[in-house]
Amino acid sequence: MALAPHKRLVDKDRPPVAAPDPRPRPARTAPPWWFALPAMLLFAFVVLVPSVRGVYYAFTDWDGLDPDFSFVGLDNFAAMLDDPDAKQAVWHTLLIAVAITVVQNAVGLLLALGVNSAIKSRNLLRVFLFAPAVITPIVTAYLWRNLLGPDGAVNSLFGAVGLGGWRQDWLGDPELALWSVVGVTVWQYAGYSMVIFLAGLQSVPKEIHEAASMDGAGPVRRFWSVTRPLLAPALTINLMLSIIGGIKLFDQVYALTGGGPGHATDTISTLIYKDAFTLGEFGYSIALAVVLTIIVAVVSAGQYAALSRNERAAS
Amino acid sequence: MKTRTLPVTVAAVTSMAVLAACSGGTKAGTESGSGGSKTLTVASVDQGSIEDVVKAFEKANPGVKVRYTTSGADQYQQQIRTQLSSGTAPDVLSVWPGNGNPAATYVLAKPGYLRDLSDRPWAAKLPDAMKSVAQYEGKTYNAVFGQNGIGAVYNEQALKKAGLTAPDTWKDLLAFCKAAKAKGTPAFALGNQDNWVTQLVLYALVATTVYGEDRDFDKKMQAGEVTFAKSSWATALDKYMTMEKTGCFQKNPLGTNYEASQQLAATGKTLGIVQGNWVIALLQQKNPKGTFTLKALPATDDPAQTLVPAAAGAGYGVNAKAKNEELALKFVDFVMSAGGMNTFVKKQGGLPSLSDTGFAADPSLAELSEFIESDRTVPFMDQLWPNPKVQQTMLSGLQEIFSGQSTPAKLLDEMDADYKSGS
Repeated sequence: MALAPHKRLVDKDRPPVAAPDPRPRPARTAPPWWFALPAMLLFAFVVLVPSVRGVYYAFTDWDGLDPDFSFVGLDNFAAMLDDPDAKQAVWHTLLIAVAITVVQNAVGLLLALGVNSAIKSRNLLRVFLFAPAVITPIVTAYLWRNLLGPDGAVNSLFGAVGLGGWRQDWLGDPELALWSVVGVTVWQYAGYSMVIFLAGLQSVPKEIHEAASMDGAGPVRRFWSVTRPLLAPALTINLMLSIIGGIKLFDQVYALTGGGPGHATDTISTLIYKDAFTLGEFGYSIALAVVLTIIVAVVSAGQYAALSRNERAAS
Repeated sequence: MKTRTLPVTVAAVTSMAVLAACSGGTKAGTESGSGGSKTLTVASVDQGSIEDVVKAFEKANPGVKVRYTTSGADQYQQQIRTQLSSGTAPDVLSVWPGNGNPAATYVLAKPGYLRDLSDRPWAAKLPDAMKSVAQYEGKTYNAVFGQNGIGAVYNEQALKKAGLTAPDTWKDLLAFCKAAKAKGTPAFALGNQDNWVTQLVLYALVATTVYGEDRDFDKKMQAGEVTFAKSSWATALDKYMTMEKTGCFQKNPLGTNYEASQQLAATGKTLGIVQGNWVIALLQQKNPKGTFTLKALPATDDPAQTLVPAAAGAGYGVNAKAKNEELALKFVDFVMSAGGMNTFVKKQGGLPSLSDTGFAADPSLAELSEFIESDRTVPFMDQLWPNPKVQQTMLSGLQEIFSGQSTPAKLLDEMDADYKSGS
């Protein structure tokens, strides 16, 4: 409420917006639609057509090899309902996606707030924190696989600083393995979220903060009432990216645990891979992939609707 | 508008047609280039050993160029299936014996992707145990050049330091484990985080407990006369768990991967490792000064009863639609010749599949060759299973037992169910 007068003050200080030009725009500013044709053709050729053709196999019992296969209708989808591995994988996938989305963005935001302040080595810090995001996931996963071993660096570190009781079988304990996977993924991509938040933070004009400080708003209040609403677009992008990434998570899980111990960390993606390439159940595997696509589409559409409503309310 | 779109569409379509023509042209070029230089294409899983064989083959066949790719088993199985079903597979390809893996002999021969190799000179010479897994419906499809065995690989220096000797009865094995544990160096490293590793101890025990009683167990399984759950598989699984409870393995085998388990055995943090003979070369890389010996893993108190799992490793098949069939056949014949075979198995640390190659086995494999020569071996269990699911259920089930999520009885029931679901 103390901010209200300043809000008006800021509005008044904005440079006047140029009146819209009443003359019709020259035709050449709108490029003809066929400029997009090569891209559209390429997309159709490489993505659309194969995807649509691939879906057909979800209704067959193809083993990925034998040219002799038959149409089985919805059998593959019905089989999913009786497949405990599939049910477990869906549950793990959702758990991982939610955990990654929440933790990665919370950490990313804290990091962004940290490196956005006027500390000396902030540029170095930014590079350092972003670094994991540019390394191939498979490489980081193999690195962590060794760090998290029973005699790995993480346990050795706990032992060395007198926290021997914290030593864990990070990847071998079925209760822990899923969270180790989440931890490694967050470690890798928190810097990525940070960069997007940082861009959002830097678009917040200093003057508003100064004005809010003069009104006596503390750092928490300034964050909540000034920074947060202006960060809404960055938050939308970050949440979308992390939830989609979380639902599709494959590389980290496959390289860290292979879905194990047992099926304790299997996600829909690792199951798709195993069914197709280890068990030769291609039709079933593609049916799973179709379900995964539907989940991604529904979740991200729902999230987009909710967030854009939120964004409009915040601005 | 219409007049402008048409030429664009035409241009786009023509350019695609031109592109297609170009790619078709180059392809046709290599195919018809059979005049002077000949090219053979090979896809292989024998990383680190095929290189020497290719060099020797090219030397023996002047003017021939072998274009080969190598990859790990997982990646290879995925790649080869895609290539075969899209008609882009190489002339010669790695093929596993038997059934139960996505690039195994039965799996690829059944839909007709492999050329019948029964007419080759070496086909008739394969020992019976090899024939059963290199053939499909009586025809030979797989040039299996080597064989491997599973047993306890001991680090001789670590054994000496601990003042212990390798056990040859079940009773001694448990005593050995206890003594080793008391000295602070567990008997065996176990890298169960990689799920294929989980099966090795079990296979070593099953060889004696199941096949020691009944060499025809597989035939009876196929006829539906016996089941996993009601056979000595249960005894073997129970012994595996007894080994775990006795402290035969290091702590947290589920958090330990294959690589880490090699490190433990190579550096003497454990006295050995239960693995295939292929691990010896890897242990030697990690500890060049070490001496590693493969011995049978006992499962009963009568050493004379002990059997060893030993089986054909991945061999080579010829693509039924090979672009250069003649050269492909020449290559598999070369692989199966004394020279080719010895080059391969020497580099891989295995044994040749044919006995008359004059191969001098490494001392570390002396016991394994004795077992093979006296016919005291059984094929790896999964090679004759009807589908890959049985093995996958076993692998993840063993991880679940080790982490307390499942029980041996439940696992054997699940394996029976998958076995019965057929191919």
